Amino acid sequence: MALLECQEVTKNFGGLMAVTNVSLQLEKGEIVGLIGANGAGKTTLFNLISGFYPPTNGSIRFEGDEIAGLKTHDICRKGLVRTFQLVRPFHNMTVWDNVMVGALFGVQKCKNVSRAKEEAMKVLEFTGLHEKKEIPAKELTIADRKRLEVARSLATKPKLLLLDEVLAGLTSTETTEAMKLVRRIRDEMGLTIFMVEHVMKAVMGLSDRLIVLHNGEKIAEGNAKEVSKNPTVIEAYLGEKLHM
Amino acid sequence: MDLGSILQIVFTGLIMGSIYALVAVGLNLIYGTMRLLNIAHGEIIMIGAYVAYWLFTAYGVSPFFSLILSSFVTIVIGLIICKIIFLPMIRSGKSEESIQSNALLLFFAISIILTNVVILIWTADIRGYSYLTGVVQILKVPVMLNRLNAFLVALVICVIAYFFLQKTMLGKAIRALIQERTAAKLVGINSDRLYLVSFMMAFGIAGLTGALLSMIYELSPFMGFPYTITAFVVIILGGLGNVLGSLIAGFIFGFVETVGISVTSPGLQSIISYGVFIGVILYRPKGIFGKGL
Amino acid sequence: MTTSKLGKYLSGLGLLGLVIFLCVIPFYSTDYIVSVLLDILTWIGLTQSWIILSGFTGYISLGHSAFFGIGAYVMAILWLKLPYPLIILISAMSSMTLAFAIGFPVLRVRGPYFVILTLGLSEFAKYIFINYEVNVKGTVGRILLGVPNIRTLYFSLLIIAIVTILCAYLIKRSRFGYGLFSIKEDEDAAESLGIDTSIYKWLALGISAFFPGAIGATMALRRTYIDPYSVFDPIVSFQIIVMAFFGGIGKLHGPVLGACILTLISEFFWARYPHYYLIILGVILVFIVKIMPSGILGIFDLFGKAGKVVKFVRRK
Repeated sequence: MALLECQEVTKNFGGLMAVTNVSLQLEKGEIVGLIGANGAGKTTLFNLISGFYPPTNGSIRFEGDEIAGLKTHDICRKGLVRTFQLVRPFHNMTVWDNVMVGALFGVQKCKNVSRAKEEAMKVLEFTGLHEKKEIPAKELTIADRKRLEVARSLATKPKLLLLDEVLAGLTSTETTEAMKLVRRIRDEMGLTIFMVEHVMKAVMGLSDRLIVLHNGEKIAEGNAKEVSKNPTVIEAYLGEKLHM
Repeated sequence: MDLGSILQIVFTGLIMGSIYALVAVGLNLIYGTMRLLNIAHGEIIMIGAYVAYWLFTAYGVSPFFSLILSSFVTIVIGLIICKIIFLPMIRSGKSEESIQSNALLLFFAISIILTNVVILIWTADIRGYSYLTGVVQILKVPVMLNRLNAFLVALVICVIAYFFLQKTMLGKAIRALIQERTAAKLVGINSDRLYLVSFMMAFGIAGLTGALLSMIYELSPFMGFPYTITAFVVIILGGLGNVLGSLIAGFIFGFVETVGISVTSPGLQSIISYGVFIGVILYRPKGIFGKGL
Repeated sequence: MTTSKLGKYLSGLGLLGLVIFLCVIPFYSTDYIVSVLLDILTWIGLTQSWIILSGFTGYISLGHSAFFGIGAYVMAILWLKLPYPLIILISAMSSMTLAFAIGFPVLRVRGPYFVILTLGLSEFAKYIFINYEVNVKGTVGRILLGVPNIRTLYFSLLIIAIVTILCAYLIKRSRFGYGLFSIKEDEDAAESLGIDTSIYKWLALGISAFFPGAIGATMALRRTYIDPYSVFDPIVSFQIIVMAFFGGIGKLHGPVLGACILTLISEFFWARYPHYYLIILGVILVFIVKIMPSGILGIFDLFGKAGKVVKFVRRK
């Protein structure tokens, strides 16, 4: 059984088709990249999967259960959590408290604050943020904020992590670091990762598989090599060079 | 119901509607351009009304002349408030959300200050004066002259505001700012100056409205807030920056109120208008016409 | 670590001392002093309950006067029909029930719309009661006879205020509290981390409405005459907000301090110059929002920071 299965998912905003008949499957332990030009419907698809709005049509199954139409917090408690493209840490809370909120709620739901603090500490160490634990989130650099956003999501103990452009806007060293972290999340924590990414080199290097969206439709799927040779993809990207 | 009373309701609805549209124009300008919700708007109207009342009873100044004098007073108040409080806040570069909620608190404080200053000067007693109390017959329905006058003046001001926003350079810039704030800044519209202009215009129109209302209604230091609520309903229904929409929404609200009162009782006016307000805000439509909020 | 623990013990001891002092003082002081303290307790309870909703979730309510008014009215209706502590409880429950009833649709409205909506709702409630009085009862207000003496009322309010503070304190340190802070910081992000934001906000509103109901009921007995204009007065909400912001809404003791100081100021002005008092409050609010967003506690923070800088410089 696939961990996540979308069948003919469609979203239409007042006549505008943002996502059309997209079907896809994620197997447990995979890292799958979702690519496509701006406005291709990647973030919309993420919003549909994470329950920010219900799909107009189609089904979304997580571990076999239908989740289309559930509220975001219910989906999170089932073990599917997302990060935001423009990171949204809780600015006035410390790094530690941010991550603790993830541990308090989410799947594992620590019943009391001190347990959650311990759990959060583990995640902070894993993500390398433990030295900055007392700093308010608003004082972090962009790279650290992105890291914090990932850490906060990890603290909910998810099975599937949706990463929305965690690499965008990072320097090349930071990108390497972040890529390392993503890989470790899969390898050491055993999570499945579905990521939207614009930095082609990174996403090609990280992903086991790529899914390409264009104008809201899925036009290709496969490993990096297959996708980059796919004539439909090349045509769709014409004029917008694919950096290999 | 006979034709006469139906016409009576229609006339009352039209008069109320034109006043409401005028009340909303000012709120629309400030909320539209700066996204600041001026809950002291009604109190500015109240100030305008008291200035007209004072000039008439103490010096016998014609309330018509006070339309200008009252708005002059409120423009000065607007200028001071905007310069000292709101422009620095908008320039501070804080997040839009925190500016909005802070502004709301500030306007709330201003409304309380103004109300109590008026109480200190004129006490909390209800006041009023008689002006243009004659009656004309329109289609065999008696209409008070001062109401007819309010209707006409309100209509004229709305039309002027409409043409100002549609046809003049400054008006077009203000509309651009209302509709696309970031884009307007990008094309080099000097938003600070426009904020100040909108602020002063809004306060000026509010003061004028107050003077106009003082010819019809009794004054009390607490008369303001219901007008704020009304204006808010009207701009939500009519659409931001849309004077024509405000006019139509004003008429709709005027009719709803007039019909509501005539089928129930005058005592229920506040309940009806607050009820409409709550309904509108809970099921906030995207404006009946044009751009929503 | 040890110093902070010591500090905690000391402040705990201080608090205990304060409570004992507040329990004993009415037996050794004049009615006037008791009435001032009673006012302070009233405002402490009101601001603290407001904090539970508005301070924690960021949903600024200008409508808490409605909960106060409902409590007062329930008391006026049931007075002499049931034992007095029971009526206070029923009053509080009534406010809370009303909050729960309207909570879901109202809390869907965000930001400035929520703020003005709460003001509209409390005015709406006021006019409903005015109409009820005038058209159904044919009266203007209600007189309450045979009310308990001022010391009994004082102790009722002391208990209510302590329970409110305790409640706010426990919420602040709990899982529930962190859920509420997350809503204040970023509601969508909170939702995506598994927080059922609509239920959380709803609960916060209900709890926040409970205490003003109890306080309104007690104050109805204190005033002995109530009418809708006086108990649904938006000025109540206004004062709550000024006190909370004046003290600083970031910490729980901020609003307590704000309530104490401003009530004392009001004692000076209220009787003779109520309008000056409200103008002063307005100016204070403008001043706080413009210049000291973290309230007077912010000043202490500033001193603290300055102290650190001085130490740092000296060490160099």
